[in-house]
Amino acid sequence: MRRKGMKRKLNESLTAYGFLLPNLLGLTVFVFVPMVYAFYVSLHDWNALSPKVFIGFENYKEMASDKEWWKSVNRTFIFTVIYVPLLFAGSLFFAVMLNSMKQRFVGVARTMFLLPFAITSVISAVIWMFLYDPRHGFINQFFDLLGLPKQQFLGSTDQALFAIIVVIFWINLGYNMMIFLASIKEIPLDYYEAAKIDGATGWKAFWNITFPLLRPTSIFILVVTTIGSFQVFDQIMVMTKGGPANSTMVSVLYIYKQGFEFLNMGYASALAVVLFLIIFVLSLAQLRLYTKKD
Amino acid sequence: MKIWKMFSIFSIILILLFQAGCSDSSSTGEEDGVVTLKFWDMHTDAEKAFFEELVKEYNAANEDKVKIEYTAFNQSDYSNTKLPVAFANDEGPDVFMVSPGDFTKYAESNILADLNSYFPEGAKEDFLPASIEAVTYDDKVLALPYELELLGLYYNKKMLADAGVEVPKTWDELKAAAEKLTTTDVAGLVLPTDKAAYLNFIWYPFLWQQGGNVLNEDGTKSTFNSPEVAKALDYWGSFFQDGQAPSKLQYGPWDAGNLGTGSAAMSIVGTWLIPVLEKDYADTEFGLAPIPVPEGGKPATDAGGWKMAVNANSEHVDEAAKFIMWCFAEDKSRPLKWATEVKFAYSPRISVVEEGKAIYDKGLRKVFTEEIYDSAIPEPRFGPEIVDAVGEAMQQVMFGNVSGADAAEEAHKKIEEALSK
Repeated sequence: MRRKGMKRKLNESLTAYGFLLPNLLGLTVFVFVPMVYAFYVSLHDWNALSPKVFIGFENYKEMASDKEWWKSVNRTFIFTVIYVPLLFAGSLFFAVMLNSMKQRFVGVARTMFLLPFAITSVISAVIWMFLYDPRHGFINQFFDLLGLPKQQFLGSTDQALFAIIVVIFWINLGYNMMIFLASIKEIPLDYYEAAKIDGATGWKAFWNITFPLLRPTSIFILVVTTIGSFQVFDQIMVMTKGGPANSTMVSVLYIYKQGFEFLNMGYASALAVVLFLIIFVLSLAQLRLYTKKD
Repeated sequence: MKIWKMFSIFSIILILLFQAGCSDSSSTGEEDGVVTLKFWDMHTDAEKAFFEELVKEYNAANEDKVKIEYTAFNQSDYSNTKLPVAFANDEGPDVFMVSPGDFTKYAESNILADLNSYFPEGAKEDFLPASIEAVTYDDKVLALPYELELLGLYYNKKMLADAGVEVPKTWDELKAAAEKLTTTDVAGLVLPTDKAAYLNFIWYPFLWQQGGNVLNEDGTKSTFNSPEVAKALDYWGSFFQDGQAPSKLQYGPWDAGNLGTGSAAMSIVGTWLIPVLEKDYADTEFGLAPIPVPEGGKPATDAGGWKMAVNANSEHVDEAAKFIMWCFAEDKSRPLKWATEVKFAYSPRISVVEEGKAIYDKGLRKVFTEEIYDSAIPEPRFGPEIVDAVGEAMQQVMFGNVSGADAAEEAHKKIEEALSK
């Protein structure tokens, strides 16, 4: 009997690992191995064309005085500080709105919100380039109609980063909203009924019931969005390539420039390792901060 | 148990897939004495078709000896991803195209094979000396030039006439013309906006016209902090600051669409535009003039163009070099077809230009041949860090409210640093 039980247990865990295997294989080949390899490369002077020369931590030393790199990190922080709260508040707001809508419209509204997420990032970037075009773009035509002055958007050092934030916000809003919406639907209606009896409705109910109960979801969205905003690349690459005058040169774009334009593969790898550490520490700190109170 | 069966089948498939993916697909090699060569480039449309045709012809003529496999990639993928990654993994193509912007990078890394001994008797002398000089590195000829693309000022004849503007000949006239021609729908002058080698390429003539340059004669020192650089930067930047050149474009700055669709009155573009304007925008009348010069300056234009190169690490350098010589250094018909039928450019070979005289005098081509050709200076082949420093200086002046002198000083330091490496 006992032996049979053990056998079943073994069988079960084998099955479980078996199902995980394809994913683990993929992760190992495409994530873990390249990560370790990137660190290895970061200790070398390598231009991808000639053999690697081991130089220890020279790349890291060089990085310390690379003003352009730290400027790009700073720019990434600015991006994150604006984008993450905006996306968080926006997706929560629309999730609550959708939740209180009549069931008939919810399906349509959900699809509409999610549509941008289904578009390839490069294509959505191109669509927005047309909208933002200073001379013939829809947005400026619209401004013109309202009597507002025409703007340069992606062609202005002051506006380009914000213009890009709007695009990425537009892309990711629907997806994050869906996650919030799903969590809101999980909250038992009894809570709201009880609160109603106590006289708490509307804003009060949201603040005392919905928001606290969404805590795990909120943490998830904040952490994932922060990580994502540190890795932002493709839309910027398509829309501005870091310009004008470097005003949208975020960290990943700078790494790309060092790696694939200058062919400083070793140095670019060192930058990538440091960016990874920044994201890692930041995510840990966020998790600590948000889960402390429990 | 069924699950187990399915699972093991699935695992086997997965393992097989991985093996297939990882195995060395060595297409470069010999089979029955036939050498297979990989040939990569970044051409599209008619230009790609031309090379497909060439490869077919060559393969047929050398059936039992050489087989060329031609692949064309998207241009930005090709330069920034495909080639570096392939060379890094020792899987680079045997034959490939290299742009002036990448030439130094590859030359320094010993990727380019010396072609000196492969030129057919007397063929090298047929090339313009400047075009050979542009691909010579340490006394070795590391690539084969096959086209010279020149720049000029294209304009919409009707727009200029309607605005009462004469074709500009000087910097002041160009500036005034751009201002007059700019309306809410039409850009006075279209220039490239984004940082890229192309941005510098279009700007260099403004520097050369005054006798300025990025580096000194032997390329060892930066001369970028000169007043000529500051002046060229300020002049170029003023078009953007005053809103006469758009800060963002819907078509590439090299595209015929800007002029063709009537959204621009003037644009500085290269020889390649002529066939497109003739074919796609035949209803509109366009003019062409040399790039306007500053007071006391002399005319100058770029001679750009990709080159064909052989991978020095290829196992079949001989066969690869013979192929590219066959393409552009032997018979006159192939380079002539390329430069006059497929696209419009100048062949670096004197005999080919003579042979095609009738075509070089047709329509707007005549302006290039008679008024611009003599002022051509080969596109510089600076390394990527210098290209970036120059581009950054331009961007700072165009969009960052920085003066030409300050931006030049900043770039000068970066160039010196890049040269000292």
